[in-house]
Amino acid sequence: MALFGLRGVSKSFGGLQVLSDLDMEVGEGEIVSVIGPNGAGKTTLFNVITGVYPPDKGDILLDGRSIVGLEPHEITKRGVARTFQTLRLFLNMTVKENVMAAAYGHTRAGVLRTVLRTPGMRREEREIHRLAEECLAFFGERLVGYRFDQPAYSLSYANRRRLEIARATAARPQLLLLDEPAAGMNPVETHEMTELIGRLRAEAGYTILVIEHDMHVVEGISDRVVALDHGVKIAEGTFDEVATDARVIDAYLGSSRADRM
Amino acid sequence: MAGERPHPDVPTPRIGADEWVSREQEHREGRGGLTGRALSLIERIPPATWLVVFIAIAAVLPLLMNTGDLNRYGLNVALFALLALGLNVVVGWAGLLDLGYVAFFGIGAYTYALLSSSHCFTETTCGVHWPGWATIPIAIATAALVGFLVGLPSRRLSGDYLAIVTLFFAQLFLTVAAQGDRVSALGLTSGVNLTGGPNGVPDVDPIRIFLIRPTTVEAYYYFTVVALVIVATALWLLIRSRTGRAWTSLREDALAAELMGMPVNSLKLLAFSIGAAIAGLAGAILAAEQTGVFPGNFNLAILITIYAMVILGGAGSMAGVVLGAIVITVVFEVLSPTTSPEKLSLLFYGVILVALLVKIRPWWRLAFVLGGTVVLGYAVRVIAHAVSASSTEGEVVSGGFVGDVVELLVVTPAQPGNWPKYAYIALIVALLALTRLDGWRRTLLIPPTLLLAAFVWETLLVQQPTVTRFILFGALLVAMMTARPQGLLGKLRVEIV
Amino acid sequence: MDWTKFFSVLIDGIQLGSVYALIALGYTMVYGILKLLNFAHGDIYMIGAFIGFGVLTFFGGPLSPDLPLAPLLILMFAIAMIGSGFLGVAVERFAYRPLRNAPRIAPLISALGVAFFLENSALLLFGSQYRQYNGFELIGTGGFYIGSVKITWITVLVVSSAASLMVALILLVSRTKLGKAMRATSFDQEAAAMMGIDVDRVIVATFFIGSALAGAAGVMAGLAYSSIFHFMGFTAGLKGFAAAVVGGIGSIPGAMAGGLLIGLAESFTTGYMNGTWKDAVTFSILVLIMLFRPTGLFGKPEIKKV
Repeated sequence: MALFGLRGVSKSFGGLQVLSDLDMEVGEGEIVSVIGPNGAGKTTLFNVITGVYPPDKGDILLDGRSIVGLEPHEITKRGVARTFQTLRLFLNMTVKENVMAAAYGHTRAGVLRTVLRTPGMRREEREIHRLAEECLAFFGERLVGYRFDQPAYSLSYANRRRLEIARATAARPQLLLLDEPAAGMNPVETHEMTELIGRLRAEAGYTILVIEHDMHVVEGISDRVVALDHGVKIAEGTFDEVATDARVIDAYLGSSRADRM
Repeated sequence: MAGERPHPDVPTPRIGADEWVSREQEHREGRGGLTGRALSLIERIPPATWLVVFIAIAAVLPLLMNTGDLNRYGLNVALFALLALGLNVVVGWAGLLDLGYVAFFGIGAYTYALLSSSHCFTETTCGVHWPGWATIPIAIATAALVGFLVGLPSRRLSGDYLAIVTLFFAQLFLTVAAQGDRVSALGLTSGVNLTGGPNGVPDVDPIRIFLIRPTTVEAYYYFTVVALVIVATALWLLIRSRTGRAWTSLREDALAAELMGMPVNSLKLLAFSIGAAIAGLAGAILAAEQTGVFPGNFNLAILITIYAMVILGGAGSMAGVVLGAIVITVVFEVLSPTTSPEKLSLLFYGVILVALLVKIRPWWRLAFVLGGTVVLGYAVRVIAHAVSASSTEGEVVSGGFVGDVVELLVVTPAQPGNWPKYAYIALIVALLALTRLDGWRRTLLIPPTLLLAAFVWETLLVQQPTVTRFILFGALLVAMMTARPQGLLGKLRVEIV
Repeated sequence: MDWTKFFSVLIDGIQLGSVYALIALGYTMVYGILKLLNFAHGDIYMIGAFIGFGVLTFFGGPLSPDLPLAPLLILMFAIAMIGSGFLGVAVERFAYRPLRNAPRIAPLISALGVAFFLENSALLLFGSQYRQYNGFELIGTGGFYIGSVKITWITVLVVSSAASLMVALILLVSRTKLGKAMRATSFDQEAAAMMGIDVDRVIVATFFIGSALAGAAGVMAGLAYSSIFHFMGFTAGLKGFAAAVVGGIGSIPGAMAGGLLIGLAESFTTGYMNGTWKDAVTFSILVLIMLFRPTGLFGKPEIKKV
C-alpha cells in the first residue's frame, strides 16, 4: 500500500479553485516531483497536506490513516515535514538550534523535568544534540563545526536551503516535502542538490515529494512526475512521459496551441 | 571573512554570503567610545560569573546601605528584576506583546493580601490569616491560571490584537480592584468586599513559611533575592531546553514552528502562564513586604516601567533585563519627591555634561558647543534682564558652583507664568529637530537646546520628578526602538508573532 | 417597560457611539495602511480636547464667551482638528517612520512609549485636575422632545457633526485622488509605490486625517461630558480600538458600526445594570468578536501566506 495518498482533494479561495479533485499516491521510498506553471496550486498542495489550511473536500492518508483536520504540528508528529519556498528559518537562532528545535515533536521533557534536570531529561537533551549534529553532518562540512553556533541569518542563501532541509529531517518524518529546493541556486549547487535528494532517500530512507521548477533536477531525481495546471492533475508518469505530454507543454507555453487544435 | 572559509575549493555563492556576519562583526568592533568598549567587555562575561557577581553584590548590599536606601534600591531592584524576568519570558522569548502583565502582578498581590490579612469580605467573614506557605503558592497559581485564561484568545490572535486584549484586561483589572468593594452577584443581596476598593487591602500579614518569617526590610530583601536567584536559575535552564527553543522558534516564525512540530498555541499559553506566575510571586512578596495592596501599585505607569526595563536591557537577554531593572529602578527611585531638588539638579546637569563630553567629537566642536552655550546664555539673560528685571530674579534650585553657573546663564523668572510650558513644548521640538539634523546645523542647535533644557528643568521639571521620570520612560521606549531596538545587552532582532 | 428610559438610553448610546466611532476611524485608517496599532491615538484625542479647551478659554471661557456660539464652536473644532492632525503627523514622523521596516514589536512598543509620553506631558502642562468645558452652560440645556424623550442640542451637535465628518471621510476616500491612493496603499504598499504613488505622503495624510478626527472627537467629548483630564485618552483609546476591531479593522463603515455598537452597549449597561461594569461588557464583546469572528463585522477574511 502506498505510504501517502490524496483522495479527491479540493481547495478553493473565494471563487478561485486552486486544487480540484486531486488524486495522488506516493509509495514508500519513492521520489515524486510535482511540476506545473506558477499558480498551478503546487504550494497550496503542500499547505493542504501539512494542515496549514484544511481541504474543502477529499481525504489525505498517511500510512492508511487520515490526517485531515489535524493541527499542523500533529501532522508533523505523524511523519510529514517540509521546507518552504520562501525560506522560513528561525533567523536569530543558531544553526544547531534551528535543527534542535525541530526535534520537539518526538521528545518529551516538560518544564518541571527541565527545571529539576532529571536524568531522563538530560539523556533526551544529549540525544537532541546528537541528532542535530547528525542531521547537519548529512550536508558534508558546510553546516558543521564553527557553523553550529552561528546565527542562521549569517548563512548564505544556498546554505539556508540546506539548513531548512536539515531542520525538516530532524523532525524524523517518513514523508519529506521539499518546496523548490533548488530555487535560486547556481548550476553547481543545483547539481549538488540533485545528488543530495537522491542520498536523502538512499541513505536516510525518506519518501520525498518535491516541487521543482528546474527540469534538470526533476529529471535527475524523480521516479514519477505529476503535472498540475490550475489545480488539476494533467499528467502523471515518468519524467519522459510527462515532459512530452501535449497538455503539459500547453500548460507551460500557454493555451494558444490548444486553441489551434 | 573569505580567508576564514575552511574549504576555499568549494564554490560558495556570493549572494548574502557571510555578509551579515561581517557586518555585525564590523559593527561591534567599530563601536567606539566608552560605551562600546564597556558593552563588548560585558558581552564576554560568562553567565555563571554573572550569577556569582550578582549574588556577591546582593549579599553585601545591606551592609553598605541604611534601611531606607535598602528598601528603595535593594528590595525594589530585586522585585522589579523578578518582574522583568517574568515579562522577558513572554515578550523576549515567546515574542508575545503582553500588556496585561501588570494585572498578574496585581492578582498575585491581591490573592496573597485577601487570604493573609484582616480583610473583611462580609461583616461576618473576616480575617483569613492563612500562612505564607499556603498563600504564596495559591497566589502564584491564581496568577498563572488567569494568565492562561487571558492567553486563550492568543490562540486566534496575532501580536497586535493580543496586545490590545491584554491591555484591556489590565484596565479591567484596575477597575475591578478599585471598585470591587461592593460586589453583589445576581441573587446575592449584601455586597461582598472583594478588593477593598480604592483603599486597597491594609494590614496584610508578613510572610510565614514555617521558620522563614521575614519582618524587617533586610529580611524581605534577602527573601526576594533568594526568590530571584531561584527563578533566574530555573529560567536559565528552561531557555536552554526543548521548551525554550520552541519559544524562540515561535517568536521567530510561528507558522514555521508549528509546521516543524511545535504546538504553537500551547507554547504561547505556557509562556503566558509562566510569565504570569512569576509576576504573581512578585505580587505576593510586594503585598507582604508593604503590608498592604493598593490599586495604584498596578497601574499603567508600573507596566511601562517594567517594559522600559526589558527594552532597555535587551528583550531576550536575562542579564540584560536584570541590568535594565537595576538602571530603571535607580532612575525611578532617584526621580522621586524624597530626593532633594539640589541633588536632582546636580545629577541632571552632570548627566548632560557627561553626555556632551562623550558624544560630541572632535574637541573643537565640543568647545564650540560649550562656549556657545555660555555666550548665548549670558546674552539672553542680559537681554531678558533689560526687558524685565524680574525675569532673572527667580530662585535657582542648585547650590554651589552649579547653582552659580545656572544663575549666570539661565533665565530664571520669579513669576514664570506659562513660559515654562511653552518652553517645554519648544524643547521637545528642538530635541526632535536634533535627531533630524547633522553636521554644523546640529552643532549650532545644541547650545540653545541646552539652555532651553536648563530653563525647563529649573522652572518645571525639577518640581515634578515623578512626572518627569514617566516622561523619560516613555521617551526612552521610543528612543530605544529607533536607535537600539535590541537593548543594551540584547543581540536579537526580536520579532513578534 | 419604561420606553422613555429606553429611548433616552438609546440616544445617550448613539451620542457616545459617535465619539467612539470617530476615534475608531483613526485606528482603522492607520491600521489599514501601516498594519500598526497606534496606541498613541487615544492620547491625540485627549490633546484635541485640551486644544479645544484652550481655544474656549482664550475666547473668554464657557461662562462668558467673547464670540457668538457658532463661530466659537467652529474655531474650537477647526483648531483642535488641525492641532491634533499635526501632532499625529509628528508622531508618525518621529516614532513610527524610522521603524517601518523593523520587526512588528518595535513600532508597538514605540507607540506605547509615545502614549505614555503624551499622557505625562499633558499632566506636566495641564496639571492633574479636571478641566470643565461646561457644555451645558455654553450651549444651553435646551433641546426638543420626541414624545417624552428629550434630545438636547448638545446631542444634536455631537451626532450631526460626527455624521457629517464621516460622510466627508467616505467621500474623500471614495471620490478623491488621495482616497484612491489611500485605498491602493492599504491594499499593497509596495505595488502602490511602484505605480507612482508617494506612499510617504499617503501615510502622512492618513495620520493627519485620522488624528484630526480624534481631535474633533475630543472636543465633542468635552462638550458632551464636560470634564476633561490628562488620562482620558487611555480608556477612550481602548474603547475606540475595541470599536475598530468589532467593526472589522481596516474597514471604515466597520469602524462606524463598531463605535455605535460599543457606545450602545455601554449606555445600556450603565442604564440598566451598573456603570462600573461597562468596561467589562465592552471587553467581553471585544473578546467574543475576536474569538468567533476575528475579522470583525465588516472585515474580509485574511488568507495565510506561506
